[in-house]
Amino acid sequence: MLHKILLLLLSLFLSLGAETFTKSATIAPELVQKGSQKEWCPVCGMKLETYYKTSHAAKIHNHPQRQYCSIRCLAVDMHEFKIDTNDVQVVDVVSQKLISAKDAFYVVGSDVLGTMSKVSKLAFKDKEAAEDFNMEHGGEVVDFKKALSMAQSSLEADIAMVQMKKEKQVYPMGKKIFEKNCKKEIDIHHYLQINELKADLVTKKLCGELAEQELQPLSLYMWEVKRFGEGASKQNIIQVTKDEKCPICGMFVYKYPKWAAQIFYKDTHFSFDGAKDMMKYYFDHKDGISKMIVTDYYSQKTLDATKAFYVIGSDVYGPMGNELIPFATQKEASAFSMDHKGHKVIGFEAITKKEIEKLD
Amino acid sequence: MRSRINFYIVEYAINSLLRQKYKTVFVALVLTLLIFLLSSIFFITSSIKYELHATVEALPEITVQKIKAGRHDEIDVALMDAILELHGVESAVARVWGYYYFENAGVNFTLMGIDEYEEQYKKSFVDAATKLDFTGTSMLVGEGVKRVMDANYYKEYFNFIKPDGSLKRVDIGGVFKAQTELESNDIILMSKEGVREIFDIKQSKATDIVVRVANFNEVATIASKIKLLYPDTRVITKDDLKISYQNIFDYKSGIFLALFTTALFAFFIIIYDRASGLSSEQKREIGILKAIGWRVDDVLREKFYEGFIVSLFAYLVGISLALAFVYIFHAPLLREIFSGYSQLKTSFALPFVLDVQTLALLFFLTVPLYIAAIIIPSWRSATLEADEVIR
Repeated sequence: MLHKILLLLLSLFLSLGAETFTKSATIAPELVQKGSQKEWCPVCGMKLETYYKTSHAAKIHNHPQRQYCSIRCLAVDMHEFKIDTNDVQVVDVVSQKLISAKDAFYVVGSDVLGTMSKVSKLAFKDKEAAEDFNMEHGGEVVDFKKALSMAQSSLEADIAMVQMKKEKQVYPMGKKIFEKNCKKEIDIHHYLQINELKADLVTKKLCGELAEQELQPLSLYMWEVKRFGEGASKQNIIQVTKDEKCPICGMFVYKYPKWAAQIFYKDTHFSFDGAKDMMKYYFDHKDGISKMIVTDYYSQKTLDATKAFYVIGSDVYGPMGNELIPFATQKEASAFSMDHKGHKVIGFEAITKKEIEKLD
Repeated sequence: MRSRINFYIVEYAINSLLRQKYKTVFVALVLTLLIFLLSSIFFITSSIKYELHATVEALPEITVQKIKAGRHDEIDVALMDAILELHGVESAVARVWGYYYFENAGVNFTLMGIDEYEEQYKKSFVDAATKLDFTGTSMLVGEGVKRVMDANYYKEYFNFIKPDGSLKRVDIGGVFKAQTELESNDIILMSKEGVREIFDIKQSKATDIVVRVANFNEVATIASKIKLLYPDTRVITKDDLKISYQNIFDYKSGIFLALFTTALFAFFIIIYDRASGLSSEQKREIGILKAIGWRVDDVLREKFYEGFIVSLFAYLVGISLALAFVYIFHAPLLREIFSGYSQLKTSFALPFVLDVQTLALLFFLTVPLYIAAIIIPSWRSATLEADEVIR
């Protein structure tokens, strides 16, 4: 008898511990959406089978059922639609069947990576199974309400995290795929959801045969960038000719491309070797300015000076010593300020002549 | 003062050189050899330096490796998300690569996986990505690899042995060329999937992650942030790499320095020998010249021409010999000192880098010194009274 129990325990351990945990479906997944788009999440477009164990399904009034890659996309959809929490279903990690979410036990914050979120939220039908998993992989056991509120409160940070990745990696990749493969005319506005676009891309072979890891960047690019026109004007690096001198300090600007800034008047422009010198000039010659641009410290791309955020008093020096260091967003400016012992972060309007004089 | 060249004196100088045929030939030979040796050393070092510099410059700003038990281990691709989130990071690429040991030839190939649509972290890969056929199993090989494969009768394809012992046949799609041969010689480029299959690397893992940073000033900050985020990683910046390359190079340069000093020493001995005095015969010659009416500056001029002709001849011949030796014959013996400064068994051609500074340095190190060594003793005897010298 004891033998049998031990064996059972051993096999249980082996099944849980020996093979590493995967979020993908190991049996045929239950997909509740209709049509060929049922394979993908309607919010983010990810393949449900791959993230099956974090998958949720919900019923929306007057709409067909929707199935999400994770509780994160459910939370996104809850912003747009009224979803009754009683109608939410979730995949039980053990049986891999859809169960009612409000009866499920969630293990949050385990060592399993989250789906589109920093913290994973895995659902179990049995409390014991959840606790076993908790023992094995860490985290804590909570109910659906708590898990959902966690997902909602971290939503903004999660979106920001994914957005960074999308902008730096996914969109450029999607654009390349699009330009190489998509020869046919595709009317993106014809689709209501990203998974419909994806389904058509696959079934109608609009862009030829594509693997899932190419399909996802392509559809994200088409859905989130192409649909809104070809991104806002492409930012470039400030162009300075070799003979341009800073009117304030007299130094050649082309030698300091990292700091270049420019003021454009109607038919002339001046280049400066730093935002500080630009501001000095600006205070004395405010009339007739058509455009002011600075170089973003992080990306080294052109920024509209009036919309930039500036860090004062950091340990980073420009060619003229203490600088006003420009950033595209408040967030970046604060991050820089933290890293480099910045004194304060200010917007363009808040820069005063006095402040500039203090820098020298 | 007449500044025009007096051709009679030049003629006399040439005749004087021809009169002492053996001595002239000997001195010219020694000088030529010395200049040849020095300039070939300089040529080799400057082209290797150039090659190293180009190789390092082509690398991304930061490389992140996972370290497990003090060894390089496979890194989780998922780490990239958090790295991309750092401000100032322009892009990140999970690299899949490794060394494949080809037993028959006893060489290591470097297998690099590239993705068709990913941002290419090296300029040379951008062009390669357009050439490589990603649909089938195809690869681009460096010239060195191509030679080795040809020699082993793998003309159209190559069989890689996977970790489980089975074979993977990959067609040779073309030759990969980069800016320097050091970079491309031992490289095989293929799709990431292909490399993953050959080395048995899972989809969720990568060899390392390379990070591009737009503003070079931020590299150190970002590197330390990554290190803080993942304490089990080794974060290597381009500067670190430059230093370690430089260290290996400096070590090898030490051997060159030893050669250099001996050569220079030999040269100074010749100079000293020259400067320490003239033979009585030469003194007598100067005396006679003065007796028949040559002025001191005529004598010095003649001696100057003599020295100039010999040393310039030696300089030009030495430099051209060195150029031919290094860049046409690829420095057969001297290069051995340097080859093997990377752990890979690679052969590489020295890129042609003509450094004007080096040439000028060599010129001023040899020609004026030699001329001075001839003129100074002549001046000493020329200022003496003619009868005193002849007597």
